[in-house]
Amino acid sequence: MTISTSDKPFLTRVKESENDHFMQQSVAKAQDAQWDKRTAAREELGNWEQWRDLGEQIRQHVIKYLPDYLEQFSDNVTKKGGHVFFAQTDEEAANYIKEIAKKKNAHKIVKSKSMVTTEIDLDKVLLSLPDTSLMETDLAEFILQEDDWDEPTHIVFPTLHKNRNQIQKVFKKLGYSGTNDPEEMAKFARKYLREYFMQADLGITGCNFAIADSGLINLVTNEGNADLTMAIPETQIVVMGMERIVPSLKEAEVLDNMLCRSAVGQKLTSYCSFSGKQVVGESDGPSDFYVVILDNGRSNALGTDFEPVLQCIRCGACLNVCPIYRHIGGHGYGSIYPGPIGAVLSPVLDGYEKFGDLPFASSLCAACTETCPVKIPLHNLLIKHREVMMDKLKMDHSFNNVLMKGAGVATSSPILFKMALEGDHLGSAPLSKSKKTTVDNLFNYGHIEKAPSLGAGWTNVRDLARPPKHSENFRSWYKKHKKEQQEGVSHD
Amino acid sequence: MTNQNKETFLDRIATKSGRARHQLSKHPFIPVNDLPETTLSGKSQDELFEIAKKNSEAVHVTFERTDTTSLASLLNSFLSKKDIQNLILPTTDKWSTYGLSEWEKERSDSAEFWLPESSRKENLEKANSADGAIGFADYLLAESGTITVATTPGQGRGFHFLPTHYLSIIPKSCILSRSRQAMHKYEDAISSGKLVTSNINFITGPSNSGDIEMVLVVGVHGPLDMTYVVVEDL
Ligand code: SF4
Repeated sequence: MTISTSDKPFLTRVKESENDHFMQQSVAKAQDAQWDKRTAAREELGNWEQWRDLGEQIRQHVIKYLPDYLEQFSDNVTKKGGHVFFAQTDEEAANYIKEIAKKKNAHKIVKSKSMVTTEIDLDKVLLSLPDTSLMETDLAEFILQEDDWDEPTHIVFPTLHKNRNQIQKVFKKLGYSGTNDPEEMAKFARKYLREYFMQADLGITGCNFAIADSGLINLVTNEGNADLTMAIPETQIVVMGMERIVPSLKEAEVLDNMLCRSAVGQKLTSYCSFSGKQVVGESDGPSDFYVVILDNGRSNALGTDFEPVLQCIRCGACLNVCPIYRHIGGHGYGSIYPGPIGAVLSPVLDGYEKFGDLPFASSLCAACTETCPVKIPLHNLLIKHREVMMDKLKMDHSFNNVLMKGAGVATSSPILFKMALEGDHLGSAPLSKSKKTTVDNLFNYGHIEKAPSLGAGWTNVRDLARPPKHSENFRSWYKKHKKEQQEGVSHD
Repeated sequence: MTNQNKETFLDRIATKSGRARHQLSKHPFIPVNDLPETTLSGKSQDELFEIAKKNSEAVHVTFERTDTTSLASLLNSFLSKKDIQNLILPTTDKWSTYGLSEWEKERSDSAEFWLPESSRKENLEKANSADGAIGFADYLLAESGTITVATTPGQGRGFHFLPTHYLSIIPKSCILSRSRQAMHKYEDAISSGKLVTSNINFITGPSNSGDIEMVLVVGVHGPLDMTYVVVEDL
């Protein structure tokens, strides 16, 4: 299995995305709306930079002592009668869950939104069981499932690329006869899913944060489907990336506040739940409780320059400020993890052969780094990926292909090239002669005579002028762009 | 008993990180600042009430204030306004605290109760058939307009999510400034053994979704609307 969502080459995906005007408009609309909401929510809280310091500290601390926290969490789950399985690979995780489903004789499985279960291709594995049906119950995931398992395009808003008419068409296949009004369609989904929920015998959820000192799972949602998934079926399986852990309820509370404000501009989402195995006297909630803790490539980051990527709390804010994401949308990245976080994380999880082009899908404007609530230096990590690839190239000539793909990303798509040149001076840094790229020295190079192999496709023909340090940062670009949009200026 | 699967996994990631295991006791987490404690601190209960009202209404909650003498009639008007035919109530000794013992008794024939002795299926089906629920919250968080509830045998998880309309009763003295203060309360109650629960819900307004063209739809899987009733003299 892979986190890959497409077999097509990156540039083909970019071109396809460039032609999807509805998607582009939707992403732009979402970015604009989220910009305002997120900024207001953070301003209202006050001291946002200090909150970021705290968020970063919590995440760095747990990553530093990850084995200890995982051990504490696992022991607490077990003490309460739950089961914990540590899976090194996606296959191990999926097989373990499949065996539980078989053992429990599960016929109707309900799932709440979880990127990690998408990562391990769990739906496919479970649906291969005889007499087993499965329902994604988050409204967006339900729409994707019923639309022949279409791929999500955003980690918080998976159906951003779909319009109401397309959704109406999907629902018509299920017997819906109403209009394309979102409220009417949501009511239909509520009724349809509720009937299924009431018969469900196995629930599968993700996990925003595992609470080490209590063995509870923290889930942050808006619809209520995750809570029904944790209330109705007798068995619950939680699937979590191994890094999604906090010391106690107190740190969970801090991160929930930061996550909600960063993801959707809410102080808290409708439901923040802290939940475990049913205790004596309770009649609902899981009487059988399993937690699967997944590595699946995450440990590749441990002890390396990429370790900060494990701090991520999946708020999606970096997608919502990214000019490249704005242009190519989620599908353009070809990974279930798109946007700046996806461009950093995907090569860590699944290697440069598959995702070596993603670190080039960036203008390095640093808007992602600036907005990240847990202060992951995303644009520096993108530069680092490029450096690592170049170092590999020196040792392994076959790597040339990957790097040429990267060069192609920058030069073959007009918009990406334009952004690489105009977005920020940093964009071309890895093409410079500098052996070791640092943020400081990036600003001191003005001209690139001969790029290492990566840039050769371009510099063999001509010298690549290093773009001047741009006075226009992402905010000013964004404001100008928004104004132009409102005035109807087209860049096509 | 050693869990080999766990040990192998944790040893492997410790080796990869280049850091030894079992270091945490020497390096406990000490927060870099005390913002969670100090934000919105030092407010009187009256001030918290006003903040809670504003923030609850901002998340589409109907916010009511009353006292123990008027509570029963407020509940009755909720039932008639929402035209509730199938009401579900919790099993709890809180009825008497709120002066609602008579009111509860009067409903023993017409309403369903989430009963500790009932099965999962029975309780869930009662909640699923209910078009209204009246329950008790532990705390109300002023900053976000959030009620918090710990699951008990008499007020299960499904109680808060399956009914169509939902009303929650909270004493004014239980308005807290933020989620941090609620966590302190829950951690204390759990560690002292006063609270035994598998689940704590923080609920902020009715369920909602923006999954269709980012249009806000209120009421998806959980209740379609929420009413908070703050009881002033408690
Ligand atoms: S990298 Fe930062 S901004 Fe992006 S999703 Fe993760 S936490 Fe959010």
